[in-house]
Amino acid sequence: MVFAHWKKLGLALLVTSSLTQTAWAASDVLVLSRAEDAPTADPGVEISNSGYTFIYAAYEHLVAYKGATTEVVPELAESWSVDDTNTVWTFKLAQGHKFDDGTPVDAAAVKFSFDRAMKLKAGPSDAFPVLKEVQVVDPGTVKFILSSQFAPFLSTMAVSGAAIINPKVMEHEKDGDMAKAWLAEHTAGSGAYKITSWERNQSVVLDRNEHYAGSTPALKQIVVRTVGEISARRLQLVNGDADIIEQVPVDQAAALKGDPNIVVESNPSLYVNYVYMNNKRPPLDDARVRQAISYAVDYKGIVDGIMQGQAEQMRGAVPDGMWAHDPNGFQYSYDVEKAKALLKEAGKSDIHLTYTFSQADTAWEPVGLALQANLADIGIKLDLQAVADTTKREMAASGNYDLAPGAWTPDFADPYMFMNYWFDPDRMGGPGNRAFYNNPKVAGLVREAASIIDQPKREQLYLEAQKLSTQDAPYLYLMQKNDIFARRAVVKGYVYNPMLIQVYNFATMSKSE
Amino acid sequence: MTIMRIIIPRFVMLFFVVFGVAVITFIISHLIPGDPARMIAGDRASAETLMSVRRDLGLDRPVWDQFAIYVSNLLHGDLGTSLRTRRSVAGDIATFLPATMELGAISLILSIVIGIPLGVASAIYKDGPIDQVARTISVCGISMPVFWFALVLVLLFYAKLHILPGSGRIDMGIALPTRITGFFLIDSLLEGRMDAFWSSVRHLILPSAVLAFANLGVITRQIRASMLDVLQEDYIRTARASGLRRRVIIFNHALRNALIPSITLLGLALGDLLYGAVLTETVFAWPGMGTYVVTSIQTLDFPAIMGFTVVASIGYVLINLIVDIAYMFADPQIREIG
Repeated sequence: MVFAHWKKLGLALLVTSSLTQTAWAASDVLVLSRAEDAPTADPGVEISNSGYTFIYAAYEHLVAYKGATTEVVPELAESWSVDDTNTVWTFKLAQGHKFDDGTPVDAAAVKFSFDRAMKLKAGPSDAFPVLKEVQVVDPGTVKFILSSQFAPFLSTMAVSGAAIINPKVMEHEKDGDMAKAWLAEHTAGSGAYKITSWERNQSVVLDRNEHYAGSTPALKQIVVRTVGEISARRLQLVNGDADIIEQVPVDQAAALKGDPNIVVESNPSLYVNYVYMNNKRPPLDDARVRQAISYAVDYKGIVDGIMQGQAEQMRGAVPDGMWAHDPNGFQYSYDVEKAKALLKEAGKSDIHLTYTFSQADTAWEPVGLALQANLADIGIKLDLQAVADTTKREMAASGNYDLAPGAWTPDFADPYMFMNYWFDPDRMGGPGNRAFYNNPKVAGLVREAASIIDQPKREQLYLEAQKLSTQDAPYLYLMQKNDIFARRAVVKGYVYNPMLIQVYNFATMSKSE
Repeated sequence: MTIMRIIIPRFVMLFFVVFGVAVITFIISHLIPGDPARMIAGDRASAETLMSVRRDLGLDRPVWDQFAIYVSNLLHGDLGTSLRTRRSVAGDIATFLPATMELGAISLILSIVIGIPLGVASAIYKDGPIDQVARTISVCGISMPVFWFALVLVLLFYAKLHILPGSGRIDMGIALPTRITGFFLIDSLLEGRMDAFWSSVRHLILPSAVLAFANLGVITRQIRASMLDVLQEDYIRTARASGLRRRVIIFNHALRNALIPSITLLGLALGDLLYGAVLTETVFAWPGMGTYVVTSIQTLDFPAIMGFTVVASIGYVLINLIVDIAYMFADPQIREIG
């Protein structure tokens, strides 16, 4: 009798289990599983791609990236112009865009959004270094006044921090926080979706914004789940409980490739892995020593062995896929004899260096081991020092290291993000020039390129600066990685854009058997 | 009366323990080189932006000021605001702690309910088949990595057999029960939501089995060893000689005495559960304290780290207190001396 009860209970459990599973195969709900919950979804605060996922789904910008390119096209703005001094930009707003409460998007909202970002002065505000003032000309026209020329200005209007927020969020302001607490887990934009629930470390649910100006998206709901362990995410994908999984390591990607129901998206990204070499610290202050190290590395071994081919060796500072990349630029090759000769020429021997790394990027430890072996071949002893990521960042920012791996992605689509950050001596340390590199000629070239608007001329300057800086070898240029995630084959319409890692065009995606 | 003599000093001690823990955690977390502002504003933030973020978070003040503010807030029951999520730390803990406690409680119950009878049986039938099976289970439970075992269970029951869910606390599509205690099992029953209750039960099975298994081994071995000791004692022989029934001897006389050392063990097991929960929570995407603490440490989220250590230390003191009180009931000698 008791046993019969248990049998019934077991049966009931099984039935509920199968019921709930079929319910979630709905074709208008997309489930995305990722390793960690986003810190916030506030455009004025957020700087991580996991947060951008929500910001780009829920907000619109004056301009947007065009398809898979880094060019920008109108979104909330229908047209724009710039005056002769290149410091006053005027945007005409398109008609018909509405926030998720039905309020029309107007010039006051644009002004509010930028005033808020500049007042919060958090990470995103760094994309607008010369923004002096935003003026409302009339409800359909807004003017940006810059304190000096800034060539990448237009592309900065497409970054996450330039999202246009409904000024009504100020109703949720608490203790003068500019509604920061509320916007951390809610959205107030004119994008295709809005956040309807956020259960920390569990799931974020996005539903369609009824007032969205574009055509009604096929996907009614997006659920972003936090599933820390890759094996668990992979099983969810295979079982159909997740439609997209992120943070797929190369070995898992290889294993998933055989499944006909799964598509592994592996696209060349603008995400580069490189190694800062401390140019201030002997013997690395000698360019010949840095060149020797650059010649001593088995790049192909790293790309094929550690990345299983899901990367390519960098060629200069600007990665492939960004304008001003030089496909014919100089690239260091694996040449042990040349490396030894350079060290001899520099008169350096008994070199002992430390490679300071964290686990923030899974490639950093194996890369360190590879470097250790490669450098031993030319008589350089390399110690590996593992530290917490916060510690590593602090050490790199203060120049307290010999060699340290770094990862870099551009915030806006302009070679400025690489050239001016990496090589301008004014940005030494944390802001970007972590090699503490100082070549006045290179500095002059990149500063000039940032101050003019003419793109062909800028490209020439950046190419010249790349040539000179690559010769100086301030950094060890390792690889440009692929962005890898996996999706079920039924997920259709995804467009990859190298500027939008972990960001999806949900509004134009669909699920069909 | 005697109970109060145990409880009152403990509560006085609690205050000092919490203060001591707060001081030590504060010092350690501030000694680690690293700047939380850099984590929040971004690696490449300009000096000016970093300054603004530090000011906003109160990190620009002298360390001792920061500590004084922290302690004064703590005395008012305010654990501060998380640097990373911008939410109140107390609120975050209230969200995540019940999930971990629910998982811990279920697995503790499982390991006791299975572990004690198994330990008793293997002591009575020493070196017999039951003992051999129990020993194998114990050795596996103690030596098998939690992480690996968790993955094996997920693979088997979720991926291959499709009978149990592999992650989360509740099925997607089932509304969460209204938050009363934060324990889904209790909240869903209070609301009369059987769908949520059964979904929670099914989600609890695998992670609690993993956690219970590790403890089960220790408990079984401990009970077995102390049962064997006790069964050698004179009073058991006397009881036997006086013709008491075997069942009465084992359960009323032997087990009761054999349980005493196990009470301490259970207190420690609660601590282990928290530790094991970090790994288990990762595999099962269980939204508990484990994940929260690890992320907080990685991002040097001082208020979150300190909030957790303060709550955990209060928890430990209370567990110790419960263990001591439980001792009193199990062991009349302590009751009299105490």
